[in-house]
Amino acid sequence: MIDYIRLEVRRTLRDKGFVVFGIGMPVVMYLLLTNLAGSSGKEAEAWKVTAMVGMASYGALGAALGTGNGLAEDKKLGWLRQLRITPLSPARVVVGRGLSASVTVLPAIIVVLLLGALVNGIHLAAWQWIGLVVLLWLGTTPFTLLGLGNGYRLSAQAAGMVNAGCMMVLAIIGGLWFPAAAFPGWLQEISRWTPSNRFADLGWSVTAGHGPSAGTVLVLVAWLAAFGAYAVYAYRRAARTA
Amino acid sequence: MAFSGVVKTYGEVRAVDGLDLTVDRGETVALLGRNGAGKSTTISMLLGLLPPTSGEVRLFGGTPEQAVRQGRIGAMLQDGRPIPRVTVRELITFVAATYPKPMAVSEALALAGLEELAGQRVDRLSGGQAQRVRFAVALAGDPDLVVLDEPTTALDVEGRRDFWQAMRAYARRGNTVVFSTHYLTEADENADRIVVVDHGRVVADGSGETIKRAVGGALVSFDLAGGPSDGLTELPGVTSLEIRGDRALLRSADSDATVLELARLGLVRGLQVAPASLEDAFLTLTSSRTDAADGGPAVSGTGASEGAAAVGEGALR
Repeated sequence: MIDYIRLEVRRTLRDKGFVVFGIGMPVVMYLLLTNLAGSSGKEAEAWKVTAMVGMASYGALGAALGTGNGLAEDKKLGWLRQLRITPLSPARVVVGRGLSASVTVLPAIIVVLLLGALVNGIHLAAWQWIGLVVLLWLGTTPFTLLGLGNGYRLSAQAAGMVNAGCMMVLAIIGGLWFPAAAFPGWLQEISRWTPSNRFADLGWSVTAGHGPSAGTVLVLVAWLAAFGAYAVYAYRRAARTA
Repeated sequence: MAFSGVVKTYGEVRAVDGLDLTVDRGETVALLGRNGAGKSTTISMLLGLLPPTSGEVRLFGGTPEQAVRQGRIGAMLQDGRPIPRVTVRELITFVAATYPKPMAVSEALALAGLEELAGQRVDRLSGGQAQRVRFAVALAGDPDLVVLDEPTTALDVEGRRDFWQAMRAYARRGNTVVFSTHYLTEADENADRIVVVDHGRVVADGSGETIKRAVGGALVSFDLAGGPSDGLTELPGVTSLEIRGDRALLRSADSDATVLELARLGLVRGLQVAPASLEDAFLTLTSSRTDAADGGPAVSGTGASEGAAAVGEGALR
């Protein structure tokens, strides 16, 4: 299975689309959003931190969902069928996919955090930096499952579009691009229940100097269960027809 | 490998309809049939990708799933393409590592004629090269049985020649190979044994020579000139009769005797005697338009009669 993960990670990192959109986009957006305004003071400093977590989350979210695109592509090429006639068990293929996704979410998280520290001069305690990486890394799991579900259920083209759509909607409503505080009240209420907002909240709680609230963790676990069930359903359906 | 009474239905359609087939170790067997004859369904069941509706498929004394899990099977599936963004060597190395006793990667590459392409990205290869990569994927684990589903569709002449060269080199090592094709010459040139499948059943089984003989050694044709065709099947040597327009086509196991009798009856008009080609044999076997009373020795019936009227030479590519 290690070989399978290695193969998939390699393939993802060689994908120019992934490098440009998955890593490049959040990086560029972060630098633009925090430096164009040119304002300084306390508020600007706070925004740099908020946006850093938001953009790292956004990049990780995109990479996690993107796993599904690769999967749908493999399904179209007949590679999933080919794997079924190797001794590699189907369960290990699915788990391997998920684990390779957990590796490919890391570049976006780490690059954005590095820019926050080196370019925007954010100072956090060591435990905060480590906590950020670990929590944002673990927090991508629901999105990986959503992406895998889409990849199994949909055609390659549809999966690409649906995953891109999910990413945009989740990123915007979740307040990863612009703070949810600027939303109208009803949208703020919705935003608080989205997996993406709670995901980023893992990071925001760390930068605020404390651990994530129980509510945040509970909402994320609920989404994890929902997307997990969806992925299992989609996988079973694909196994019958593929 | 053994199929016994295997049936696979999709709703009303019986894709595989009571298939019996046994293949021994070391054999190179061609499954020959038109598109839609049930070859791919048969292969999917052989690989455990599809469960049979009824009947049983056994591989090395167990189920296909067990044989796959033990790494005893390698396959090249129809319409598959190699995945992008890996090199040939990376891909073959990965596949080999999933098997318990793989062959050396360099050996797999050499057998498939890929040594010089090992460092290339798979998505930058030509169609023929990509097909050989898929062949290398099938044999990388050094499985006991290699299954190739229509391996040369979509290949040009040169690609096809290179592919079969690689396949024969591999079969010479004593491996069991089962491949499906709708090209008669491919089956004839590359297999020890040809299994003709039609309407989901085995309609003939043997070497190319056996099948030709079984169907009748020669094709005798003449103009009927409006005369009756009754009784022509009773002529000496005749195994089947087909009327095409105003011409009678007799398949005969003994064309000399047939022609002498035709002469005695005064029926020699525009007479032609041609040796049966494998193609003739194939068409006879897979077409129920013939009024043959019964088939030859190795021929076990000519399949279901209904629906077979749609069978034409046009279906053969």
